[in-house]
Amino acid sequence: MKQFIQRRLKNLAVWWVFVLSMPACSADLAPWANPERSERLRFGAEISLGSRDADPSTPFLRYAADNRLFAVWTEDHDTPLPQGRASSDHHGMSGKMAPSPMRNVYLAASSDGGKTWAPPKRVNSETEAVQGEENGPKVAFDKNSRAYVVWSIPGGNGDKTRANIRFAMENDKGGFTPARTLNEVNDAARFPIIEATPDGNFLIAWIDRRIDNPKPRQLYLMKMGADGRALTKNYQAGEGLCECCKLGLVFADGGKTVYMVDREVDRNKIRNHVLRKSTDGAATFGAPVEISNDGWQVPSCPHSGPSIGRDSRGWLHVTWFTVGRSEQEAGIYYSVSTDDGKSFAPRRLVHANTAPEILYNNLSVGDDDRVYLTWTNLDSYGKAQVFVRTLLADGQTWSPIQQISRAQGNTSRPVLALRNKQLQVAWTEIDGENSRVVFRSAEVGQ
Amino acid sequence: MKLSAIRATRFRSLVLSLVLTLLCAVIFVIKLGHLEAQLFQQAAPTPGPAVNRPAPTFSLRTLDGKMVSLETYRGKPLIMNFFASWCDPCREEMPLINELAANGAKQGYGVLGIAVEDTRAAVTEFAKEAKLEFSIALDLNSTVKRSYRIFGPPATFIVDPNGIIREIVLGPVTSERARDALKKASIALN
Repeated sequence: MKQFIQRRLKNLAVWWVFVLSMPACSADLAPWANPERSERLRFGAEISLGSRDADPSTPFLRYAADNRLFAVWTEDHDTPLPQGRASSDHHGMSGKMAPSPMRNVYLAASSDGGKTWAPPKRVNSETEAVQGEENGPKVAFDKNSRAYVVWSIPGGNGDKTRANIRFAMENDKGGFTPARTLNEVNDAARFPIIEATPDGNFLIAWIDRRIDNPKPRQLYLMKMGADGRALTKNYQAGEGLCECCKLGLVFADGGKTVYMVDREVDRNKIRNHVLRKSTDGAATFGAPVEISNDGWQVPSCPHSGPSIGRDSRGWLHVTWFTVGRSEQEAGIYYSVSTDDGKSFAPRRLVHANTAPEILYNNLSVGDDDRVYLTWTNLDSYGKAQVFVRTLLADGQTWSPIQQISRAQGNTSRPVLALRNKQLQVAWTEIDGENSRVVFRSAEVGQ
Repeated sequence: MKLSAIRATRFRSLVLSLVLTLLCAVIFVIKLGHLEAQLFQQAAPTPGPAVNRPAPTFSLRTLDGKMVSLETYRGKPLIMNFFASWCDPCREEMPLINELAANGAKQGYGVLGIAVEDTRAAVTEFAKEAKLEFSIALDLNSTVKRSYRIFGPPATFIVDPNGIIREIVLGPVTSERARDALKKASIALN
């Protein structure tokens, strides 16, 4: 009898182990479903950045020279409207304080790869209608880890599409210099990016519309010294840009070679992505090289620009979103140039759209030449979530697709940072009228 | 315990084991299929909105806090314009949408703006700055945008009094296109 009971208990234990292991197996099915395989990343718990009451959004991550990780984002200003201005439009808010478009830029640092964060510092000296989404603030650092921040505000009449680029840098007292406008023609610039050049200066790029005819926008640049003074005037480096998406930029050869990616639009509203290369430190750029002839013809406003990274072999990795020539093609794509930007390999689908939706992407390249990608796509509940995937240095082996967010609402515009075998991802989570900035970190390349 | 009783118990145990195995295998296959569909395959295309088909229903809150739905406009034609405050072509077409809204009041059709991928604050500011003269609903969680299968604003849907879509304009709407569409929706535009 005793033997029988022992056997029954043993059987039961085996079954319970089997049954309980099922969900774990199911959660890890992606490698089996994907013929290409490499490691899955193990992410730590979610961390929220910023003040939850102030609806933080639009994060951007970057490492400084001293290995501190920085995050910059925007938050609501606590005053409803400047000068107590009340709305008196016909939308029923007469006499009430309307929600304010005023937001602030915050910068926070972490010395342990994002596990803990110092209290954030406000960057903008005056409260402004700081823009977010594709047009959010960006930060770069000099060799002393001093922060240089750019962001965009609507033009004089409140028009977001005729905006201005604002800039502030960290001062010696731990605060920031008063913000100033970088575009020399008012109400004409947005989607700024800033990168530290290898020679210790800064290159700032944006999409400009000072020449409003022909309609496609222009690529404008300016150079700035580490003291914050302009080294050049604003200058045009290209034209024919789509009006609405982020730019990408990487350096090579000590800053002599500059690669930029953007989305172009032709007269038939076909939007393909291109690479522009400069061999004279961004003074001039060659003719754009098409990354992929996607043939996406869209007359509307798809705010989702490409991302670029360069590995130690000089390969240029690019990721982007396109709908292509039919909705069945839509998704996040990847391509690589192994001939210094002269040509690109045929595009490869990273993740197909699960529903009609603009997807947002970001890419980072490790010291070991692995490429890390993050993007948004809809989950089976129709919510936009954040996904990640790795491409090994062989350029062929993909990791399984991993969903790393569990948003109740939607996520938007994930960004990456990568250093010391640590991959960091941050994104905005939006649920109705509320938003928050979410951060997660994983060990990589082990 | 008798030998036959032990055998019967073992038999029951075996049957239970087989049932459990089968159950686990079914769960495994379903889960695998689900994940595969979610992660690696194009989702089966769902029927999107199309001309001469019913407009997808929705219920949203307007800028001033009222609930609005397709039913609100039942019995009169409706111009639904999906827009965002950050969108260049949306801004360019707003004078026309305003003009259509002004005519709609006289001619008995409705105009509803649906703000997508935006915030209440930004849309309020935009409505004020662009002097928008029509009702604006906030699709803050993108549910309506997704049910209308819109990749990016602007997009305009013209719906007849019975809730049937008569025209879809992806990208900026022109006055000619709006005029033709409204004719299809049985309205003569002056």
